[in-house]
Formats: sequence, structure tokens, C-alpha cells
Amino acid sequence: MKIIKQFGIIFAICWFSVVIEHFLPFSFPSSVIGMIVLLFCLLTGVLKVDHIREKSDFLLSNMAFFFIPAGVNVINYLDILKAHWLTLILICSLTTLITFAVTAYSVRLTMRLLKRERSARHE
Amino acid sequence: MNDLWTSPFFGIALSILTFWIGVKIQTRLKSVLLNPLLIAILLIVLLLSICKIPYESYNEGGSVINMFLAPATACLAVSIYTRIQILKDNWLPILVGCTVGSLSSMGSVWLLCHLFGLDEAMTASLLPKSVTTPIAVEVCQSHQGIVPVTVIAVIFTGILGSILAPYLIRLFRIQDPITAGLSIGACSHAIGTSKALELGETEGAMSGLAIGVCGLVTVIVSMLL
Repeated sequence: MKIIKQFGIIFAICWFSVVIEHFLPFSFPSSVIGMIVLLFCLLTGVLKVDHIREKSDFLLSNMAFFFIPAGVNVINYLDILKAHWLTLILICSLTTLITFAVTAYSVRLTMRLLKRERSARHE
Repeated sequence: MNDLWTSPFFGIALSILTFWIGVKIQTRLKSVLLNPLLIAILLIVLLLSICKIPYESYNEGGSVINMFLAPATACLAVSIYTRIQILKDNWLPILVGCTVGSLSSMGSVWLLCHLFGLDEAMTASLLPKSVTTPIAVEVCQSHQGIVPVTVIAVIFTGILGSILAPYLIRLFRIQDPITAGLSIGACSHAIGTSKALELGETEGAMSGLAIGVCGLVTVIVSMLL
């Protein structure tokens, strides 16, 4: 019953998110709404991590598995892949490098600026 | 004979079996290149093509597995909640880093797509490729992109990020685990996060947080486009 209850809580949050998505004036993924709703419930103490621990451990540690059917769907689009494989590889590789570097430098710069401001305040 | 494949149990059992084979191969050969997800997808695509089993039959079970993507995304809230203190102490660098990182990801994709002369649908499919699959797919759909292209790009980017992460950390001389984790999560989402967890606990936590924050930034920016 414990696991069924945890499934119930998570699925209820997911369905609630679909309802919110339906009534929002703009399009926003219901899965992300679910993440925000769950975080809100945890922060306000409506839910405790213990209420959903086993179920969320199960989902997070097996996350990759749930992507299989989405990936297999590629079978319907093999011709697109054949036509664009080199461009896809090039674009993905270059942008991954750029994103990593830009994120690293902007985090580093913000941290340095904050530190300088804090030490300036202490003097 | 054909209706035997349409039982949802076929697709589910096949997915679990191929994923299990993928995990076994990876632990045996210890290579990040041999990603279990990638192996499972390749094996299923091969089997369906060779045995001429229609995709729709496989998807009777596949759609059941696919349904768990939304609950899994929601559960990222749990990993963020358990590291809420790091988030409180470093909220500004995290926010700035993930926002600038997501913008640079989408900006560079847009620029390269135009440089290579790709059409609107392909560009829309590649734009969200650095965020976690459920968010990327939603963003792609809302801009009339091609979902499978997004999924391929997201998975490829994730595997690439998890392979390159240790080298990139050395290349850019990153000593701070928070910076390292955020950068990995920002460019290669959940698959990169699995690598970040191997590097250290703080790296893993920050990478997981970056999945959520970058996902939110990407959704918000894509709504404005």
C-alpha cells in the first residue's frame, strides 16, 4: 500500500499539472508545472520527502529508461537522419562546447563579483 | 501472427530487456560511449526493422513507459529540495550561469542552423537540445518542430557532454565544484548529470539543479520567441 500511495501522490500532482496547463493562457509543459508544484508542496511542508521517497528514487535513478520509446520513434524518421547526420553532429558538438564554456565563465564571474562586493562592504 | 506484437507487454518487456543488455555491456566494458539508453534504442530499432514489426505495435507498450516521463520530471523537485541550502547560498551565480548558459545554447544553435541552411522545422527541433528530454520535446512541439530530431539531438548532446565533461573541466581550469556541476547540467542535462555524480556529490547536485533551472529558462525564452 505504501508504494501505491506514493504512486497516487505523484500521479495526482501530474494530473493537477495537466489541469493547470489547460487553464494557463500560454503554453507551458505540464511536466515542468508538476516539478514546480511538487517543489512548492515540499517547501511549504504539505508533503514530506518521506511521503514520496521510494517512488521518486525509482523514477530518478531509472530516468534514462523512460526515454527509450521516445528514442525508438526515430525509426519513423530515418530518412531525415540520413540526410542531415553530419550537420546534426557538427551543430550538437559545437554548441555543447560553447554552452559549457559560457556557463562556466558566467558562474565564475558572478561569484567573483559577489566576493569583491562582500569584501568591499567589510572594509 | 502480427497481432501477437500488439500486446503492450511485448513493447515493455523488449524495452526492459534491451536496457538491461545495455547496462550489462556498459559495466563490462566501462565505456561512457556505450550508453545503455543508446544501446537499447539501437537494438529495438534493429529488431523492429529486421522482423518487420510495425512501430505502432511496439508503441502499445512504449506509450506506457513514455507516460512515466512526466512523473520523473516532477520528481526532479525532490533532488532540488534536498540541496535547497546550496541553492539559497548561491542563487545569484546559479541563476546568472543557467540563464546565460541557456541563452548561449539556443543562440549558438540558431546561428549554426542558419549557417548550415537548415529549415524552420529543423531549427525549432534543435533549439531546446541542451535541456532534459520532456521539456525539450514540449518546446519543440509548441514551435512545430520534429520531435524525433529533438530526441536524437538531446540524447546525442547528453552522451557527448558526459564523455567530454572531465576534459572540459581541465581545459577551462575549473576548480570549484559548483561551477563544474552547473556547466555540465547546463550543456548536457540528465545524462551529463550521471557523469557529474561520478565526479563528486556537489557536482552532481549542482548539475541536477541546472537541469531544472535551464529547463525553466529555455521554456520561458521559447515562449517569447
